[in-house]
Amino acid sequence: MKLLPVIIKRQLASYFSAPITYLSTAVFLTAAAVCGFHTSQLLEQNSVDLHGFFQLHPWLYLLLTPVLSTQLWADEHTAGSMDFLSTLPVTGFERVVGKFLAAWIVSGIALMLTFPIVITVNYFGNPDNSVIASQYFGSWLLAGSYLSAGSFICTLTHHRLVIFTVTLCLLLVASGLSSILDAIEHQAPIWLIDRVTSLSPSTRFDAMDQGVLALQDSLYFISIIVTFLAMTTIALNVRNR
Amino acid sequence: MIEITSLTKRMGGKNIIHDFSFNAQPQECLGLFGNDGAGKTTIVKMIAGSIPPSSGHVKVFGNDIVLNTLQAKKITGYQPERCLSHSVMSVKGFLSFIADMRGFRGAEKRKMIDRAAARLELCRILKYPIETLPAGLKRTVAIAQAILHEPSLLLLDEPTEGLNADQKHKVRMLIKSLTDEMTIIVASRTPEALTGICNRALIIADGQLVADTSLSELQRGSRHYQAVTLAADTPLDLLALAVLPGVAGIEEDRETPGTVTVLAMPGQTIYPHINALITQRRWKINTLTLEPGRLDDVIHHMSQEASV
Repeated sequence: MKLLPVIIKRQLASYFSAPITYLSTAVFLTAAAVCGFHTSQLLEQNSVDLHGFFQLHPWLYLLLTPVLSTQLWADEHTAGSMDFLSTLPVTGFERVVGKFLAAWIVSGIALMLTFPIVITVNYFGNPDNSVIASQYFGSWLLAGSYLSAGSFICTLTHHRLVIFTVTLCLLLVASGLSSILDAIEHQAPIWLIDRVTSLSPSTRFDAMDQGVLALQDSLYFISIIVTFLAMTTIALNVRNR
Repeated sequence: MIEITSLTKRMGGKNIIHDFSFNAQPQECLGLFGNDGAGKTTIVKMIAGSIPPSSGHVKVFGNDIVLNTLQAKKITGYQPERCLSHSVMSVKGFLSFIADMRGFRGAEKRKMIDRAAARLELCRILKYPIETLPAGLKRTVAIAQAILHEPSLLLLDEPTEGLNADQKHKVRMLIKSLTDEMTIIVASRTPEALTGICNRALIIADGQLVADTSLSELQRGSRHYQAVTLAADTPLDLLALAVLPGVAGIEEDRETPGTVTVLAMPGQTIYPHINALITQRRWKINTLTLEPGRLDDVIHHMSQEASV
């Protein structure tokens, strides 16, 4: 684990030198601002929390996470650089975790850059800032689980466009799972609906979005992250065999 | 000590490398020669640990590359054949990343980077992004990163490819000076560039070891060993050359008229006789060279024999 900071540093440098990172962050922030202020009628409601704003985050991450996760491994597939990096004394797990943490930090930075909306609600009203902090934390966990899924997809194929599309579709399904369940509510048995609903990230996120930082919801996201990272490591080791 | 025992690699149902074994001692410089597609790069990659063997073992100073992979990788330096990516990084940034990965910190790290850069004369170009460098300099950067941590085993894959004559000479000198410190395995399709450096040559054809001998032994096996090449403006009396003692035959160079190569019978020396003939006939000769033996030909020949 000694090499973890080196890999994080390297991956961050690669993110910050790629224009697409800035572009997708900008799109994410613009969309967040537009949706935050308009769709949820934040200012008209005179509300004291940012519930409406955070409700949209599972969708907003569709703009950011596929781009970030595509860059995780795609660079290394070019020009046989994977062959070279695998001759350095570093374990596959360190590389997977290091790269993931770097992507998670970038998504955290993007998330923090939505701070004007917090200032705005503080200016107009008197919101509970601890609730907002827990909402931000929940949103960051959500981003982490999306990124870890994207990181796994990256190890399955080399093509940037395939990675991007598959990640986007998967996240679309995950974010829209509750709508799909609504549609089949009368056809499927109720226990199945309940089970699948409890697996949906957006349902879990909604629970956190209420400002209740429940241990089980946090654990849900953390277990998703750990599972996908373990799968990424295994896929990487199997492919090198 | 590097021990390689019955190394085999199967890919797509075909044996790319088949039952390849050899040992290398410390302070030995091994050349791995063969035609394109013979499997040189695959073997080097397997020793470096980037692709695992299908069967067989690689032991780098007692560390098995599959079972004890981190230890083995720590003492190995590898210069890949294809250029490195990380293209937007500067040369210094890249070397610094490699030094970090090799576990160097602070003053020691700076010392290691400076030394590697000085050895390959990269100090001038440290600030430039690797992407913008010409192929020859990219290759020297790749060599610099491989020797940065003073490995016990150095793997070089086509180290002189794409270098100009001056750089080639410097890399040859570097390899020569490094032989005292480490075991070196060089894979190359141009063995001529490595004469006088490698003390052992392994010839590989179709993934199999066909010869393990010294380079001078290989040269002695060449048809052109002890042959003499002459070039003159006026046509030479070929008959006079052919009847000299020890001459096995004469080859005319079709591309450059006026150039002939006189072949010697095995174990015969013909240079003094030809010299005497030239003096006697007062030929005006432009070039007169004694050939050390054409390694390319020998290796090509051996590869073809092996595949038949």
